[in-house]
Amino acid sequence: MGKQVLYIEMDNCIGCRSCLAACTQCGGHDNRNRNYVLDVDPFISRQTIPLMCLHCVNPACARSCPAQAIQIADTGAVLSALVEKCIGCQNCTIACPYGIPKFDEEQNLMYKCDLCYDRTKEGIPPMCASVCPTNTLQWIEEAELEEKRAQIPLANGKWTASHDPDVLEGETNVKISLPGILQGKQKLF
Amino acid sequence: MENEKTRPIPLKDDNYTHNINRSNERSLDRRSFMKTMVGAAGLFAASTLPWGALAAKELMGSSSKTFPAQKIANLSDIKPGDAIEFNYPGEHDSALFVYVKEKEYKAYQNACTHLRCPVFWDRDEKELLCPCHHGKFDIATGKPLAGPPRRPLPEIVLQEKDGAVYAVGVKRYEEQL
Repeated sequence: MGKQVLYIEMDNCIGCRSCLAACTQCGGHDNRNRNYVLDVDPFISRQTIPLMCLHCVNPACARSCPAQAIQIADTGAVLSALVEKCIGCQNCTIACPYGIPKFDEEQNLMYKCDLCYDRTKEGIPPMCASVCPTNTLQWIEEAELEEKRAQIPLANGKWTASHDPDVLEGETNVKISLPGILQGKQKLF
Repeated sequence: MENEKTRPIPLKDDNYTHNINRSNERSLDRRSFMKTMVGAAGLFAASTLPWGALAAKELMGSSSKTFPAQKIANLSDIKPGDAIEFNYPGEHDSALFVYVKEKEYKAYQNACTHLRCPVFWDRDEKELLCPCHHGKFDIATGKPLAGPPRRPLPEIVLQEKDGAVYAVGVKRYEEQL
């Protein structure tokens, strides 16, 4: 079993918000979800996309933290703020280009997705991926990801739901595939 | 495929995030800092043990130092009330022999225990006097009587033989307390 990654095939998202429910109900999450489902262009299309922490290789949140409370695990997961280190300055919430870290005013603490580190370090998929009914969130091995990537240039460029690193702020450990609707093209199945 | 977004941060600009890797956590956290401090303190404490052993050995008297006997003077040559300076046990350890009265004489190393000024015999006051800060010592015991000194002058053990006085040893500090 090779290294596994979270791969988000955003075209598949039907907006059921199972991932939100799973995250909310996960133990230790205090009934708060750490992932989001967004409308791509409300009133125009029904396309939704799940958005969770993309676990950057060079995470802006961790690099902006003056207390070094956000740590990068050896699996590449960028962990949530350490309770004993976080000083509640909210630098990370400003630094993150995706708006992932959220701030808990009561506990004076930042909380964010940590890719279910306790699960994924054992090879178990994160809660959101384990409940996704449409295979939007996939917990796959890197070899399988390479196969998906190889299919991208097919169909004379009509296959547009492609992982396009240029739309992101940097290299991420969570791989995404943007919905074709964002590029005004139809995805071929 | 390296562009502006994928370029790694150069080391010189990566000043404040050296410890965000979870696997490095144990090399720099407070707890390991405290461990290092306590460990260093323990190491320092342990490193003093040899000296403690030396001191214990000294105090047990298992290595009582002996010095060669040294003639100070013939008793017939000096009058009661006189004092003679000599060096004992080493050539740089100045000492003072005091002939207090008939059949009674004492000798002390005469470096004052305050700041090592030479102590002299005050014939009129019948006591040892340090001129620097007016420390005074008892001629009978060498213990300080006045002034800054707190410790007695080291006493030199004397022995009379054939009308001459010999210095044969130095009393330990502990013996004089």
